[in-house]
Amino acid sequence: MKFKITLISLILFVSAITIKKGFQLKYPDYFPKPTYDLKKNILTKETIALGRTLFYDPILSKNNTISCASCHSSFNAFAHTDHSLSHGIDDLIGTRNAPALMNLAWQKLFMWDGAINHLDMQALAPINHPKEMGESINHIIDKLNKTAPYPTLFKKAFRDTIITGEKILKALSQFQLCLISAESKYDQVKKNKKQFSDQENRGYILFKKNCNFCHTEPLFSNFTFANNGLAIDTTLNDFGRWQVTKKSEDSLMFKIPSLRNLSYTYPYMHDGRFNTINQVINHYIKGIKQSANLAPELKKGILLSSNEKTDLIAFLITLNDSAFVFNRNFAYPK
Amino acid sequence: MIFIGFIFSAFYLFKPKPITLSFLPYFGKDSLVINKNYFSEIISDSVSIQSLRFYLSDINLIKNGRIIYQVKNQHNLIDISQKLQVKLFTKSELEFDSIQFDIGVDSLSQVSGAMGGDLDPMKGMYWSWQSGYINFKLEGKSNICNTRNHVFQFHIGGYIFPYNTIQHIILPVQNKTNINIKLNIKKMLSQIDLKNVNQIMSPSEKSVEISKQYANFFSIE
Ligand code: HEC
Ligand code: HEC
Repeated sequence: MKFKITLISLILFVSAITIKKGFQLKYPDYFPKPTYDLKKNILTKETIALGRTLFYDPILSKNNTISCASCHSSFNAFAHTDHSLSHGIDDLIGTRNAPALMNLAWQKLFMWDGAINHLDMQALAPINHPKEMGESINHIIDKLNKTAPYPTLFKKAFRDTIITGEKILKALSQFQLCLISAESKYDQVKKNKKQFSDQENRGYILFKKNCNFCHTEPLFSNFTFANNGLAIDTTLNDFGRWQVTKKSEDSLMFKIPSLRNLSYTYPYMHDGRFNTINQVINHYIKGIKQSANLAPELKKGILLSSNEKTDLIAFLITLNDSAFVFNRNFAYPK
Repeated sequence: MIFIGFIFSAFYLFKPKPITLSFLPYFGKDSLVINKNYFSEIISDSVSIQSLRFYLSDINLIKNGRIIYQVKNQHNLIDISQKLQVKLFTKSELEFDSIQFDIGVDSLSQVSGAMGGDLDPMKGMYWSWQSGYINFKLEGKSNICNTRNHVFQFHIGGYIFPYNTIQHIILPVQNKTNINIKLNIKKMLSQIDLKNVNQIMSPSEKSVEISKQYANFFSIE
């Protein structure tokens, strides 16, 4: 009898802990703590699955043709390859390049200009954007209510069938929070499972000297805003961070992107102006445009011999994470 | 069991009536009716209101300058066509001389991600392209507005300095169970140059100015 009671209470205790804890994000110990408050959106398998289904479903767009994945493809580390500017419903072209989606749990501000202050709220931007999905959250709720298996999926995820904006947004966040890239060669080296070649090592030293200040390890961005000397594209007149803060010191400042998975995420920069890593490095060597807000670190350009350039690129290639890009759990749900 | 029942009913009996906070939108001397035409002398033209919604938060009851009752972390979406009342459930009968509240959503809630209830983005009070709640929304029509269908739209929000539009309001109160707060839209509009200022849809200096103006036109009936 006594044994039975202890056993039952033990089972209850253990299950209480596992239910409370939900699903844990796995990331390496050299990553900082996530900035996303996971206590406010407890991860569960069911909610992540719902988020994934929503992410891949064009039902989120006005004419049911465009899903999040139309612009953020898993095979491109969730960027939009081949298109310098993103394409939305009715083939309308937006004004910016779709960034890769990875390690989002560590970001505080989203979009190239930081206009979005929380991952949860991000999805509203493409959903409402007339050139992206042209839809409204209320109409999506109507559609989901009428479309199997959504009521069941919401019931599984949130224990009731009432679909709300909050639940849609939190589910999308849960899926996106799982998009962690931490299996590149660089990561294997950090985990003492592999070693850099001599060339990669030389590139790593050059990287730390010239780039790490902004593209800070291990996420390869410090997620602040900077002007890296790109000349303004007068067909777009995109002033970046200034558009949000209206402060002159923020003019032409853009969010520093992560450098993970570069081989999958071309073209580069907020307007997708460069197609190759080589072009990007050439920009830093001899293309820097002087301006009031140019980052002081880049005032003189970056000095690299052609051998050093090759070494630096060899290091950047070690940030490609094919395990992330081909992770079946992130691909179109079958 | 009986004992518990007794305690329960005693508790129920002695529980004070909730305090009802009601918002009464006016246009001058008339109570405001949606889509009805009113005349404004200032612009010498007619004005009608299609929607009026705002967030009411951080309600405090004050006695001699000290907070004696506080409603925390609750944001009520006041909407002329849906909800104009909020009830305050106090534990005991309270003596107070004024009420304080904010019009808008505090800066912490602004950056806390998706929330439910009145803060759910499906309520239509959230800016999608640049994060932030709309604290106060007034939409209507006037022939003086040279816009499509003569509409004016004031979507007032912004939580980051210098465009912070949350407004803190303190009003003296007499009646302790029914607090009626008037909001005079005619007076508010009389401060705005409607001919030139009729579309405010993002945080700006103008939004801050307008938020200060409407804050002045809440009064106790
Ligand atoms: C029409 C193409 C398009 C669609 C559809 C689209 N996005 Fe995007 N996404 C973009 C572009 C372009 C940006 C960058 C926008 C900017 O900086 O202003 C972006 C940015 C983002 C970001 C911010 C990343 C960062 O590092 O700041 C996230 C997260 C994101 N999208 C998720 C989604 C989700 C979730 C959906 C579906 C609800 C979606 N996107 C639908 C094109 C698209
Ligand atoms: C002063 C900060 C700063 C430094 C130093 C810096 N970058 Fe950048 N980098 C940025 C910013 C900001 C952007 C985005 C600019 C934009 O799109 O307008 C960027 C974009 C990039 C991109 C494009 C990534 C993408 O997904 O579009 C690459 C690649 C890149 N940098 C590589 C480097 C390398 C390599 C170095 C060192 C040689 C370096 N950067 C040094 C700030 C910096």
